[in-house]
Amino acid sequence: MGLNLKDLVIREKTTLEAFSNKIIAIDAYNAIYQFLASIRGPDGLQLTDSEGRITSHLSGLLYRNVNFLSLGIKPVYVFDGKPPSLKTAEIERRKQIKKDATIKYEKAISEGNLEDARKFAQQTTSMKDGMVKESKEFLTYFGIPFIEAPSEGEATAAHLTNTGQAYASASQDYDSILCGAKRLVRNFTSSGRRKIPNRNTYIDIVPEIIETQKTLESIQMSREELVDIGILIGTDFNPNGFERIGPKTALKMIKQHKRLEDIPQIQEQLNEIEFEQIRKIFLAPEVAKVDEIKFNEVNYEGIVNYLVKERSFSEDRIQSTLNRLKKALEKKSQNLDQWF
Amino acid sequence: MTFGAKTNGSDDLKAIISAISTLVEEATFVATSEGISFRGMDPSHVALIDISWPNSAFEKYECDSDIKFGVRIDEFSKLIKRADKKDSIEISISEENMLLVTVGKNKKYKIRLIESSATDTPLPKIPYDSKIILTSSKFDKILGDVQVVSDYLTINTSESKGDFSGKGDSGEVVIDLDKDDDDIEEISSKSDSVGTYSLEYLNPVVKAVGSNAGFITCEFSSAKPLRIEFKVANIGRIHFYLAPRVET
Repeated sequence: MGLNLKDLVIREKTTLEAFSNKIIAIDAYNAIYQFLASIRGPDGLQLTDSEGRITSHLSGLLYRNVNFLSLGIKPVYVFDGKPPSLKTAEIERRKQIKKDATIKYEKAISEGNLEDARKFAQQTTSMKDGMVKESKEFLTYFGIPFIEAPSEGEATAAHLTNTGQAYASASQDYDSILCGAKRLVRNFTSSGRRKIPNRNTYIDIVPEIIETQKTLESIQMSREELVDIGILIGTDFNPNGFERIGPKTALKMIKQHKRLEDIPQIQEQLNEIEFEQIRKIFLAPEVAKVDEIKFNEVNYEGIVNYLVKERSFSEDRIQSTLNRLKKALEKKSQNLDQWF
Repeated sequence: MTFGAKTNGSDDLKAIISAISTLVEEATFVATSEGISFRGMDPSHVALIDISWPNSAFEKYECDSDIKFGVRIDEFSKLIKRADKKDSIEISISEENMLLVTVGKNKKYKIRLIESSATDTPLPKIPYDSKIILTSSKFDKILGDVQVVSDYLTINTSESKGDFSGKGDSGEVVIDLDKDDDDIEEISSKSDSVGTYSLEYLNPVVKAVGSNAGFITCEFSSAKPLRIEFKVANIGRIHFYLAPRVET
C-alpha cells in the first residue's frame, strides 16, 4: 500500500514534543485504519462494545488525542472523499488480500496458532461505514476540527502545509510527499512501544519527519521528477509499478532521462497505464479550500457519555485518562513563537 | 582557519553548559573574532537561552574566521565535569573535524562534532514593564519556597513593591519582597504587572547557573514572557526567556 520511497527520502527522528503548539493535518483514514489494525486483543480480535460493535478506532482516537492535546499539539483530521477512479485496481487488490487473510486467520485459529491468527487478523482490517461517522462525532467532543477532502485526504493535508495552515501532514504513506506536502511526519499516530511480528522483541517507534525540500535537494530531483519515480516504483494508481524497477533503478532512470516519456526501455509498459492522469493526481490534486481551522474546548462530559454509556468503555479508565488531560491543559505554558 | 579558546578555571563553562543542557540535547555554538555565542530553544519553544561570551572573558582567544560547531551537550558536559575548579579548559577544532578539549594541563579529550541543524533563532521582542534585581541565591531560595505548594511562580509588581507567589492543589504561598533586604537591589514597575511562569523550566536553569551569578535581573510584563539576565563574573551574560503560563 502506498509507495515505497523509504530508500530515497531523508527521514529524521524527532519527538512528539517537537510538534507542540503546531497544527498537524492528519490523514484520518490512514490513522483510523492503523488503530483498527493494531488495537486488538491477544486473539487478534478488535475491541467491541456490549452490542458487539468495534471500538478499536475510538480507543485509538481517545488515547492519541489526549496525548496530542496534553502536549499542546493541534491535530486536524482530514477525511478522504471519493477515491480517484484510477484507484479501483488497488482497492480490488486490497479486498483480495483481506479475503485471503480471512481464510488464513480461520485456519490459524483452528490450529490454535495465536501469533499467526493475530497477524492475519490485522490484514483483514477494513473500515466499515459507521466508523468514519463515529470518528467524526467523537472528534467534535474533543473540540478537534476535521476536514472533508473532495478526494484523497493526503492531498488536502499536503495543501494545508503549503497554505501555512498546518505545519506538517501526518501519514504513514509517502504519497504525501508526491502530493507536495512541505513536511511529512510518520509514526505520528502510532509512536510508542511496538512488538516486532514473529519475534519476541519490542522496538520504540518514534515520530520521524521528512522535509520534502531537503529530500529533493539530496537526490537532486524536482517534485515532478519524483512523481515519475513514484510511478516507476508503483503507486496506488498503478500498484504493480514497472517490472524489475525498484527505487534505485527508478532514480537512475529519471536522472538520466528526466521523464517517463524519454526512457526508451519502458515505453511499451508505459502505454498500458494512464501516467498523465496519475501525475495529475499528485501534482494538481483536487483539494478542499479551508478558510479557518478552529479548535474548541474539550467537552469532557460528552466524551464520558459517549464512551461509557454508549460504547461500554470502563468509566474509571476514561475518567483517569481525562483527568490527565485536564491537568496537562491547566499546566500548559504558551510558547515564545508569538513574540518573535 | 584558526580557532582556540582557553578559559581561566572551569566554573563558568560548567555553568554555561549546564544551563544549556536544561533545554536542548544538541547545541550549536558560533565563534567569531568577538567571542562565542549560543542561542537555542527547547523543543516546544517555551524557553530560550541566549548566551554571549566575549573574547575578553577568555584567558586566551583566537578566531580568524567565523565558525559554527555542534556538540551533543551530554557528551560535552560529561567531560567538562572532569575538570577541577582551577583547571583551565581549552577548546579548538582538529583537522579531522573533532572538538579538542584540553582540561587542565594534561587531559586531552577529543569528541565528535555533530552536523549543526541550527536555524537562526530570533529573540522575543517585548517591552518590559517591570524589573526586579536580586541575588541568584535569593531567587533560588524563593523558587524552592514556592515549589512546596505549586508548579508555577507568579510575579506581581506594583510601582516599587513586588511579591512572588504560588498556588497549587494543597495550598498557596506569598513571599513579599523587602526592599531593605541586601539581596534585593531594585524593584520597579512602569505599570502593575503580573505574570505566571513554570518552575519546571525556571528551577533547573537557576540551579545550573547557581552561585556563579551574583545579581540577576528579572524583567517581564503582564501575560508576556519573562527574561532573566544572569551576569556571570567572567562570561558576559546569559539571557533566559520563558513564555508565560496560559490562564485557563
